[in-house]
Amino acid sequence: MVAVQVIVGGLLLGAIYALFSSGLTLIWGMMNFINFAHGEFVMLGMYVALLVVVWLGGGPPLFGLAAAFSLFVLGVAIYLSLIRYVIRGPMLAQILSTFGLALFLRYSAFFIFSANFVSLPQTSLAGTIRIGGIFLPVAQLVAGVVAIVLTMALHVLLTHTGVGSKLLAVAEDRAAAMLMGIRPDRMQMLAWGLSAGAAGIAGALMATAYPWSPSVGETFGLIAFVVVALGGFGSVLGSLYAGLIIGLIQAISAFWLGAIYKDIVVYGLFVALLWLRPQGLMGKA
Amino acid sequence: MAAAAGPDGQSVKPQRLTLTLLAAALLLYPLVLTNPFYLDIGVTFLLAAISASAWNIVGGYAGQVSVGHSMFFGLGAYTPLLFYTLWGWPPVAAVPAAVVLSVALALAIGLPTFRLTGHYFSMATIAVAELIRIFTGTWNLVGAAIGLQGPARARGWWDLTFRSELPYYYLFLGVLALVLATTALVERRRFGFYLRAIKASERAAASLGVPVRHTKMRALVLSATFTSIAGSLYVIKTGFIDPDSAFGILVSVQMVIIAALGGAGTLYGPLIGALILVPLQTATNSLFGGGGSGLTYILYGGIIVLIARFEPGGLYELWHRVAPYLRRRAHAA
Amino acid sequence: MKILSLSAAAWFAALAVAAATPAHAADAVKIGVLFPLTGNAAAAGQASKAALEVALDIVNNAHPELGNLPLAASVGLPNLGGAKLDVTFVDHQGNPSTAQQLATRLVAEDKVNALMGAYQSSCTFTATPVAERYGIPFMVGDSSALNITSRGLKYVFRATPIATDYARTYMRFFADMKRTGKTVGSIAIVNENTDYGTSVGDAIEAEAKKASMPVAIRIPYSASSTDVTAQVLQLKQKNPDVVIFISYTADSILYMKTMKNLDYKPPMIIGDDTGFSDPSFIPAVNDISQGVMNRSAWAIGKAGSTTDKINDMYKARTGRDLDDTSARNMQGFFVLAEAINRAGSTDPDKIRDALVATDLKPNQLMMGYQGVKFDDTGQNILASTYLIQLHGTQYELVWPDDAATGALRWPMGGSTQ
Repeated sequence: MVAVQVIVGGLLLGAIYALFSSGLTLIWGMMNFINFAHGEFVMLGMYVALLVVVWLGGGPPLFGLAAAFSLFVLGVAIYLSLIRYVIRGPMLAQILSTFGLALFLRYSAFFIFSANFVSLPQTSLAGTIRIGGIFLPVAQLVAGVVAIVLTMALHVLLTHTGVGSKLLAVAEDRAAAMLMGIRPDRMQMLAWGLSAGAAGIAGALMATAYPWSPSVGETFGLIAFVVVALGGFGSVLGSLYAGLIIGLIQAISAFWLGAIYKDIVVYGLFVALLWLRPQGLMGKA
Repeated sequence: MAAAAGPDGQSVKPQRLTLTLLAAALLLYPLVLTNPFYLDIGVTFLLAAISASAWNIVGGYAGQVSVGHSMFFGLGAYTPLLFYTLWGWPPVAAVPAAVVLSVALALAIGLPTFRLTGHYFSMATIAVAELIRIFTGTWNLVGAAIGLQGPARARGWWDLTFRSELPYYYLFLGVLALVLATTALVERRRFGFYLRAIKASERAAASLGVPVRHTKMRALVLSATFTSIAGSLYVIKTGFIDPDSAFGILVSVQMVIIAALGGAGTLYGPLIGALILVPLQTATNSLFGGGGSGLTYILYGGIIVLIARFEPGGLYELWHRVAPYLRRRAHAA
Repeated sequence: MKILSLSAAAWFAALAVAAATPAHAADAVKIGVLFPLTGNAAAAGQASKAALEVALDIVNNAHPELGNLPLAASVGLPNLGGAKLDVTFVDHQGNPSTAQQLATRLVAEDKVNALMGAYQSSCTFTATPVAERYGIPFMVGDSSALNITSRGLKYVFRATPIATDYARTYMRFFADMKRTGKTVGSIAIVNENTDYGTSVGDAIEAEAKKASMPVAIRIPYSASSTDVTAQVLQLKQKNPDVVIFISYTADSILYMKTMKNLDYKPPMIIGDDTGFSDPSFIPAVNDISQGVMNRSAWAIGKAGSTTDKINDMYKARTGRDLDDTSARNMQGFFVLAEAINRAGSTDPDKIRDALVATDLKPNQLMMGYQGVKFDDTGQNILASTYLIQLHGTQYELVWPDDAATGALRWPMGGSTQ
């Protein structure tokens, strides 16, 4: 029974990991570019949710949408003002750009919101369901399920819609896509918006179930890297499977090895992956 | 003096006079500004310059952007205090051991990681440093989360625990001179040309016969050695180390931003970066510190983004773009 | 390269700013205080700063209503001709190297006569040798690491209890409970894994061994954990009689909520101050944490008492009740001021000698210590703590019996939901 509880908890959290990592893998697949500020997008999504609840008294649907939309806009803005200039430049500039952005966003959040951990005031998702011997906090259950749905939705968007094929085309072969009349710049901008938006809504979902502070961006960023490395750079479906697996591994390590080892196991896995199989489960090398 | 090429390909030699003045200023600084607080800032500046210059070798010249260099710094910091705690060694005696360990780590990391390119490599360095930080926090032998301390009071001159910071200043200055001299030497030898070729394009370099893997490894080992020494110097001065001050990401970031601000891949870039950032950090703390605003890292982040977006070559590059224009205006006037 | 000379000019400008210090009253006694005013521990640092500002007001102005608290009734320091205390606060941001630099600045630039600080043990470790080197007394208000005072430093003093004091208090409490028939077969220790949690956790484990109290499980965890389900499940499995938490605020709240979600309630929970004393703890989880115990050397006390009046002064300034950590810093400040007054001089060595000779009685203190007397390492050997319990929306003093104002409930009630 305890084992099942551990597994279920891990999968629910893993689903959220999958959602916010799907955006990161999209950017990587399209542009061979890693956004070191991705974790901060998730963190900002959480604060947007908080602000919506506190200022407007909104519920989960409202703050979810608000987080998705505001982060989408932020992602597009960052692409237009920063990314598309550095992408053609030296490696140092590429890495510094999002790294500096991460620092800027993180410490601005510290400045504005303080370092105290916060959580959403009780929302409509309070309480715990009991099935068999398993306890399922409603908030975590809903967050996990919605995360899986949204990740699948993103996957479907990419593989079964016109816009999606254009995005994938640019990822596959930029020059050929241009010849086909697709504008890579536009598509990349869209990808950044989607990536940030997905991270934002993942943050809002997490906010319903878990406490946070501006420092969580750093941890989530690293987790996103691990998920993307495992799932394969460029594959949204891969990040779904990988997210669930990482959530599971984390929960199991925390229970059987001890809380402080769960991070060591996850990062150790990451380093091993980078060295042994950089293309992950389902990605192209 | 090493010759550096400016953006228009012409030779730009730093004035001998300026460099002599700089050397004189650095040598005389603590004798002119005798206040211990200013001296501490000077020592902090030298340490930052040493670390950034060490990073510069592999990050600036070879273009391998490591954002986890704290792994070498931290190893260089922990080893002396560990030897002191376990066996009572004077911390400075363990510096060679620290270097050996850092080189071993560099080889262990470099071998698999240099197969990865660009972003992969940077991610790997972050992950490894983070792994070491967490692991150190759980390992009781090295003090776990509490950390290790050095001798609180000197048992003799060899403990290097001085009442005044003046000896630290000159010791650090000597090490800085060593790092810069080594970098200058590297710059003008074949090794330096290999590094620049690799930075420009690994594939092109390889097709021209540059032993890419071997060169990158050498650069990493050299960089790790000096970074480790910087860590040891830090711990000799501060007398305390814990996982965050050793392996924290801000330690790595500081090295990168200082080198990048001044001009990564240039000899004096890290020095210029440190000259600007260290007093800036102290000043913002004094101005806002007691009131509690914490703007330092917001500023860091903003500066890094601006450098990346507008002038990846740092202030050095910026100056060389602007200077001819200014000279022309001066002549026209 | 003119850029170097431009940088040098910028350097000197920055140095001038960095060294700028506010003007001080002519013959004031200067104390430098190092706190984390930004960064992770900013909330605690700011709260303690406010507490010291209240203490400053009490010493510098006449407050005869505060009974026999030393220096309250008079204006300033009587033995120094009424000279006032002047405090300079600096923010070390939780960085040990910055703490060292700021300590140097306070001593060399601001020329303080004494130092206080620094909250994080890592920062106290690096700041105290600076004080030692310059021969300036350093009062540690609240840092938990044991060997801050045992490194042979002569100018470092610590008025607050340390981890071993707390651990011994807990063991005495358990022995007391067993004598009244309660079951205390085993305990569990759940600690966040930075220096605070680790040192207190280690001390409790060591004292438990001496007292032959089995430790069912020791769970170190990261204070920034998002999810502690696995840890609570581990506790549920081991089923100890008492769970001792050594946690910060967010994790304390997270544990309470997770335990409620997983329907786990041990007979007793003890929170080792910090997170459980934070102002946001009670509002967040009081409905599911009834009967949780905590330790505090500070109690607001009866209405109209000295401690109650001090609390009112603090509340007027910050809108919140005084918390244990800030109160301990405040007490340390009073001890320092009393010693300076007794020394009758700003000479650091005379202040140090006065500190060594300190002998304060319980009724001269705002805290529940048995007195203030320093041993030859500089540690207050009469420091001790009360145990309090959450009844309703307030903690009440329940142990030891002779000081108790409320009845101890064992097992704890848990949830009112």
